[in-house]
Amino acid sequence: MKLYSISFQSIRRRKSRTAFLIIGLLIAVASFVTLYIVSYNVNKSVAENLDEFGANMIITPKNDGLNLNYGEISITGLTIENENLKQNDISKIKSIKNKDNLSIIAPKLFNRVTIKFENVSTEKNVIAAGINFQDEIRLKKWWKVYGKLPEKSNEILIGSNIAKKLNIILNQKVNLNNKEFIITGLLNETGSQDDELIFIDLKTAQDLFNKKDELSLIEIAARCYDCPIEEIVRQTSAKLPDAKVTAIKQSIESKMAAMHSFEHFSFGISTVILVISLLVVFTNVNASVNERTKEIGIFMAVGFRRLHIIKIILLEVLVSSFVAGLLGFFMGVVAAKIITPLLSMNTNPNIDYNYSLLFISVGMAILAGLLSSIFPALRAARLDPTVAFRSL
Amino acid sequence: MSLIQLINVTKEYKTGSETIRAVNNISLNIEEGSFVTLMGESGSGKSTLLTMLGGLNKPTGGNILIDQIDIYKLTPNALSDFRKEYVGFVFQAFQLVPYLTVEENVMLPLAISDQKRKQKKEIVFSILEKVRIKDKSLRLINELSGGEQQRVAIARALVYDPLIILADEPTGNLDSNTSKEIINIFLSIVSEGKTVVMVTHNKEYTKHSTRVIELSDGKIIKENCTLFSSVSDAVSIDKKIITMI
Repeated sequence: MKLYSISFQSIRRRKSRTAFLIIGLLIAVASFVTLYIVSYNVNKSVAENLDEFGANMIITPKNDGLNLNYGEISITGLTIENENLKQNDISKIKSIKNKDNLSIIAPKLFNRVTIKFENVSTEKNVIAAGINFQDEIRLKKWWKVYGKLPEKSNEILIGSNIAKKLNIILNQKVNLNNKEFIITGLLNETGSQDDELIFIDLKTAQDLFNKKDELSLIEIAARCYDCPIEEIVRQTSAKLPDAKVTAIKQSIESKMAAMHSFEHFSFGISTVILVISLLVVFTNVNASVNERTKEIGIFMAVGFRRLHIIKIILLEVLVSSFVAGLLGFFMGVVAAKIITPLLSMNTNPNIDYNYSLLFISVGMAILAGLLSSIFPALRAARLDPTVAFRSL
Repeated sequence: MSLIQLINVTKEYKTGSETIRAVNNISLNIEEGSFVTLMGESGSGKSTLLTMLGGLNKPTGGNILIDQIDIYKLTPNALSDFRKEYVGFVFQAFQLVPYLTVEENVMLPLAISDQKRKQKKEIVFSILEKVRIKDKSLRLINELSGGEQQRVAIARALVYDPLIILADEPTGNLDSNTSKEIINIFLSIVSEGKTVVMVTHNKEYTKHSTRVIELSDGKIIKENCTLFSSVSDAVSIDKKIITMI
């Protein structure tokens, strides 16, 4: 028999007291793990949704040219003489180290176009935007289309102001640079430059404007929850040395602020639960020491030193805390798996958790257990032998 | 030289503004191998004297020397080591650890020794055999009768082979037959050369003692030396003591 045998037998045979100690810490650890995983995954889900809600990065040619205010930034390089971006630049962007953070890549080609209506002799000059409709609608979740989104190469979408100015109606046939198109969708007013544009399929636009493989700008929605946008900008700039890569900081900062507010809330709740659990453990160990005055008297009578008594008490708490940390982690993971889908914007989210959280949980439980029992253990060891012995 | 020497030992307790003198200037020598009985009314100071002898209750005055060691001049750790090596305690309410088995309770003092497990087991089983409870070594304490529990307590007191056994009313919770068995165990311990100091209310057991000391209000009021050539053949010599102040 060694000192640790006394601790182990006490844990094994005084089940209800041990269970009470473990439950106190287990609740703390499980709550921490649950809140951490839920907060991480909900934040991630919110971040992903926010990241796809408009671009947070824009790529334009480096050289100066025609200025166009598009979205929140000023776009340059729209003159024909300037060197545009190329279609294969998209493959380069997709090859950056943080390519997995790139959620939507929406290339665009802008050009002036002459619009002519059937049976009408007058012509008007407008700006047309060649886009990939499926990428664009994912990027601009606020777009509302009257009619349907173009699917074929001869189908186009008209911005609301252009439609009003030119009295355009749905399913009307128009000529753009002498090529016939059908208007399948009218864009509801967005309050942006999109209201002034005619949207054509990108490939069709490149052919129509004799700008094969050319692009005016590329909008990107990057998931920047677990990767700083500056890093993605740096990597993209390295791949496209002739392009200007800009992060839309205002957009990112507001998104991050929304995410961090939830993180702070979770952290606050975890801290409160942890403090309450520490108090529960402290009260429990303290009460246990009071209960064990007689036992401590026996230990003293058989010649145990103060350090031996401290070791017995702390080892019991250490083992109980280890078990509480381990069980708390797994209970927390299970609880998080139940709660996360209820809070997440995605009904079937992938719940990510790191196994380093297991070590953190066990470490936290041990630290909490030892912190709250060090004082009672010292008090037990310093117990006046006369007092301990009087109880015998 | 006496194994135990008490020199002008006093113990005072403070309760509020009142000071109670539990042990009042006692001087006493106890020889090795003797069986000393401490008697007296409740509150006479006999249990206090016993705990002071065991190094668990520091006197407020005087010195206690055991085997020439002034025990209360030792450091706390050295005093713990002294208790482990010199003294074995036996209590009225047995004071066994309820969550340990018989074997584990007896082995308890050895938990802090460097001996090998096998060696510890050998010591424990030889003592359990001596107190005739070896067959119940794997039982938990609450599965034993009072007499059996006291045997376990005695075995625990003996496990470190101490020079002195201090017993505080060891038969107080036992019936008369079991009490006789316990006293017989003490007599066998004394016959091996160990010193037993026992607190008791029962005058019946004093006939086996080499010395009976009666206390009242913290003072020795009567000392009865019983010289016996064998355990069963005791000759009693009464001696009135003039209490020293």
